[in-house]
Amino acid sequence: MIAEEVMQFLVLASLIITAYLSIKFKDLIACAISLGIFSFLLSLEYYILQAPDVAIAEAGIGAGLTTAIFILAIRGTERREVEE
Amino acid sequence: MDVWFLTAGILVLWILISCIRAILGPTAPDRLVALDTINTLVVASMIILGVAYREVIYIDVAIVYALLSFVATLYIAKYLEGGP
Repeated sequence: MIAEEVMQFLVLASLIITAYLSIKFKDLIACAISLGIFSFLLSLEYYILQAPDVAIAEAGIGAGLTTAIFILAIRGTERREVEE
Repeated sequence: MDVWFLTAGILVLWILISCIRAILGPTAPDRLVALDTINTLVVASMIILGVAYREVIYIDVAIVYALLSFVATLYIAKYLEGGP
C-alpha cells in the first residue's frame, strides 16, 4: 500500500526533525515542548506498527508525565541554558 | 479500504506542517499551540487508522490517549502563566 508507506515516511521525518530540535534549542521550555511532540509522534509510530499497548504506555508515560516532570524541574531552576 | 490510509496520510502531512510552526515559532506559546494541534491531529489519525485496520480495540487506545495527553499542555500553560 503506497499510502501507508508515505504516511510512515512522513511520521519518521517528523520524528527526526523534532529529535534534532530538542537538542538544538537553548530555551528549555521549547526543548520540553519539542520532546513532547517527539513522544506523540513515537506513539503514533508504534500505533502504525500495530502495537497499541506500547502506544498506550508511551502516550501516558512519555507524553504526559515526563513533560510535566520536566516543567516542574525547570520551574525549580533556570529557564535559559547558559553558554559556556 | 485504501482511502482511509490516504486520509491518515493527509492528517500526518498536517502534523508535519504543524512541526514547521514548532520550528519557527519565536515564543514559547506558539510552540505550545503547535503541540496542542499535533495532539489533536494524532488522536484523529489514530481513529482513522482504527477504521483502516478494522480493529475495534484501537479506538480505545485513542480514548485513553485523549484522556492522558492534555496533562502536558496543562502544565506548560500553567508555567507560562507565571503562577507559583
